[in-house]
Amino acid sequence: MRAIQLLVPLLAMLAADAAVAGDVAPPEKVTVCAACHGADGKAMQPIYPHLAGQYSNYIEQALREYRAGVRKNPVMGAQASTLTDADIRQLAAYYSAQPGPLYTPGIHPAQK
Amino acid sequence: MTKTVRCAAALLALLTAPAALAAGNGDAGRLKANTCMGCHGIPGYSNAYPTYRVPKLGGQSPEYLVAALKAYKAGERPHKTMQGQAASLSDQDIEDIAVFLASAPGQP
Repeated sequence: MRAIQLLVPLLAMLAADAAVAGDVAPPEKVTVCAACHGADGKAMQPIYPHLAGQYSNYIEQALREYRAGVRKNPVMGAQASTLTDADIRQLAAYYSAQPGPLYTPGIHPAQK
Repeated sequence: MTKTVRCAAALLALLTAPAALAAGNGDAGRLKANTCMGCHGIPGYSNAYPTYRVPKLGGQSPEYLVAALKAYKAGERPHKTMQGQAASLSDQDIEDIAVFLASAPGQP
């Protein structure tokens, strides 16, 4: 009995850990972004950027610039204007944590 | 009904295919993208003031990269260095660079 009492919180901790390691839980507002950027951060159309795997602080910066109106895009400006700082942090963390096609290009000696 | 849908799909594919094909030349873009690599070719490289990482560009679509560069050129994105870089690029340069970066080789 004692063992079970110890085991239950341990299992709960492990489950919580797995949830964090596997995925950041999708923020509620992701449904709006998903229409163009995909729920998993893979864009639905080539004109929209993939967000999966992009650096989170870059996504945050882009959203803050859209919200401030200094990065000008009618659609993104309208969407970003509804976001709080906390929303921006959560959305960026979520999309950054998704697996996706983005990578850093490299210069190879043979191609210089 | 399904036939109509299939016809419509085929028609749509025909209509969108030429637009989806980027006009850029990746070989030309490779040389023109040398400057880009000074920041975008370094994993985790950070912009300073404000501090955030310069975005990963490999794997983005050429269409998006063209739109982004044209937005910098038009002053619709505020980054001064990127505005300066984009200002020096012709539309052809932008297309070429976008095609190259979209599927550029990864880190050696």
